[in-house]
Amino acid sequence: MRNTDPLVDHYERMCRMRAFEEACIAGASARDIQGELHAGIGQEAVASGIAPHLRRTDAVVSTHRNHLHALAKGVSPRGLMAEIFERETGLCRGRGGHMHPFDAANNFSATGIVGASLPVALGYAYAFAMEGRDDVAVGVTGDGGANHGTFAECLNMAGAWTLPLVLLVENNAYAISVPASAVTAPPGIAARAAAFGALGLSVDGTDVEAVERVFGEAVAHARAGRGPVVVEAFCHRFRGHYEGDADSYRPRDERQRMRRDADPIMLARAALQSRGVEAAELDRLKRGADDAMAAILAAVRADPMPDAAGALDFLFADAGAGAAA
Amino acid sequence: MNAPVAQRSVSFLIAETLGREMALNERIVVLGEDVGKLGGVFNATRGLQERFGPWRVRDTPISEMSFVGMGVGLAMAGYRPVVEIMFADFVAVCLEQIVNAMAKIPYMSGGRVKMPMLVRTAGGSIGSAAQHSQCMWGMLAHWPGLKIVAPSCPADYRGLLTAALRGDDPVVLIEHKSQLNRRADRFLRPDPGPEGEHLVPLGQASVARRGSDVTVVSVSAAVEWCLEAAAAVASEGIEAEVIDLRCLVPLDMATVCDSLRRTGRLLVVDEDFGSFGMSGEVVSRAVEALGPAALRQVRRLCMPDMPLPAAKTLEDAVMPGPGKIADALRAMAGGS
Repeated sequence: MRNTDPLVDHYERMCRMRAFEEACIAGASARDIQGELHAGIGQEAVASGIAPHLRRTDAVVSTHRNHLHALAKGVSPRGLMAEIFERETGLCRGRGGHMHPFDAANNFSATGIVGASLPVALGYAYAFAMEGRDDVAVGVTGDGGANHGTFAECLNMAGAWTLPLVLLVENNAYAISVPASAVTAPPGIAARAAAFGALGLSVDGTDVEAVERVFGEAVAHARAGRGPVVVEAFCHRFRGHYEGDADSYRPRDERQRMRRDADPIMLARAALQSRGVEAAELDRLKRGADDAMAAILAAVRADPMPDAAGALDFLFADAGAGAAA
Repeated sequence: MNAPVAQRSVSFLIAETLGREMALNERIVVLGEDVGKLGGVFNATRGLQERFGPWRVRDTPISEMSFVGMGVGLAMAGYRPVVEIMFADFVAVCLEQIVNAMAKIPYMSGGRVKMPMLVRTAGGSIGSAAQHSQCMWGMLAHWPGLKIVAPSCPADYRGLLTAALRGDDPVVLIEHKSQLNRRADRFLRPDPGPEGEHLVPLGQASVARRGSDVTVVSVSAAVEWCLEAAAAVASEGIEAEVIDLRCLVPLDMATVCDSLRRTGRLLVVDEDFGSFGMSGEVVSRAVEALGPAALRQVRRLCMPDMPLPAAKTLEDAVMPGPGKIADALRAMAGGS
């Protein structure tokens, strides 16, 4: 009989998320993907924790490290991976790439410019409030992006107009090499919410159940028309900032410790085993996730690249009116 | 409220056009500093908040980066945002969202996300010195993905704005500060256009004056300066053809080249900075299209590459005004 503990679903989803990222990393190593790749391995509990609360009609605007948020929002892993692999079959026909996936049907988008996600989320929040809908807009950023001016600007406007905006801060402790502690004024990011009349919440972002609980509180607040929320989730990025980053700025013992003690998938697995779920069942779920992503990876690798003849397409809605016209 | 249309200011015509389109299309939302109760510092959104309410006409805080990005989000949520950046110079504050989001998302999404967003801003010199006088259109036209519009006469302020509000592409419309509060009947081309709806498609230059000796190409308020100069030299037997580009993107080189085939002489007048801008672009495209042998003379008259000075004597010295344009026409007509 299937175990009904929601943590099982999280475990499976987090396994799928990690397998998705591992497939992308394989693509980067094999040069299937050119340019940068920012993997979210280690941060799965944040994405999985928000997933149960998100409706298709909510909006999520994410960052350069966006894959897991996309999966949490219901974006097709097939279309997403094809876009990351720059294929014609991708969400954006290979024009966007891994930092710029757009899925209009799911109100999901991302930007590669740190801090720039938040104003776009603010626009969605404004639209939802104007229509009197109880949908929410989630602007994702990190500890680095939280120090961008848009953080204060958007929180201020959302507070002034009581907009359903949730600023989700994945505090993975580093903006590339710079520790958050070295560039962030105390008492920290969630505490800033009070200055804008917003709700400020923080959570252990390696604990998927805690994330689900706290994000649920945040979303309920915003859906109820009570204004913006800041959720600061403390987590760890296991890889370098991008694939190829030597990650020399973090001490080795720190890197070892986070992988040993703060892996959200291992933490969920230990919790499930303590609740009596068999290791074999958990292995089966992980294998299923790995197999599913391996199948997608194989399919994506067989997908066509965009036709070079179409390189100039899609610049304007009315084709042919380009700058070169 | 019942003055004849010809006595209305350009800003009145803009507000009227916005109001007409907002009544037709409930997805249009206006955002910006002082656009609500004040109706814009140049009065181009007057009466709109009273008519459409604070949600559709929103006074924003001085947070350009975020309210331009908010426009991007609104467009992605199915709206048609009209974002006012008070002075074109302030575009520098929010360039990130204009360049990296508004301009690029249609392409980056493989054509699957439309960006029917309009940024309206006021450019050009009215004696406001280095930080409140720039045109910015050359810089904005440099980045692919934006349509760049700069009207020069009352009818076009109405018609080009209507087109920008009906299309599905991101547009930056640069109004000229010296024209916004000028009455229509005080323009050299005073006709405000037909009553009711008036639409001028983007990307079609207009021939503001016919002539056979020199082709003068310009945009925005400088078109009026060219017309003034052309009238001045006409009594000396020099016939200048003045072409108003109306848009930098799309750039209508067909109209320019048709004229150049007849005159063989090209003068480009640009209130924007000369280097790496509109004037060099027009010359290059003309040469590429017609071949260097087709052009007997080529000249540019632009803002020098320097911050605009405050003192009127200094500003007059650097502006490519009617006097300088007339001198250039005389020199060109006197040449081969």
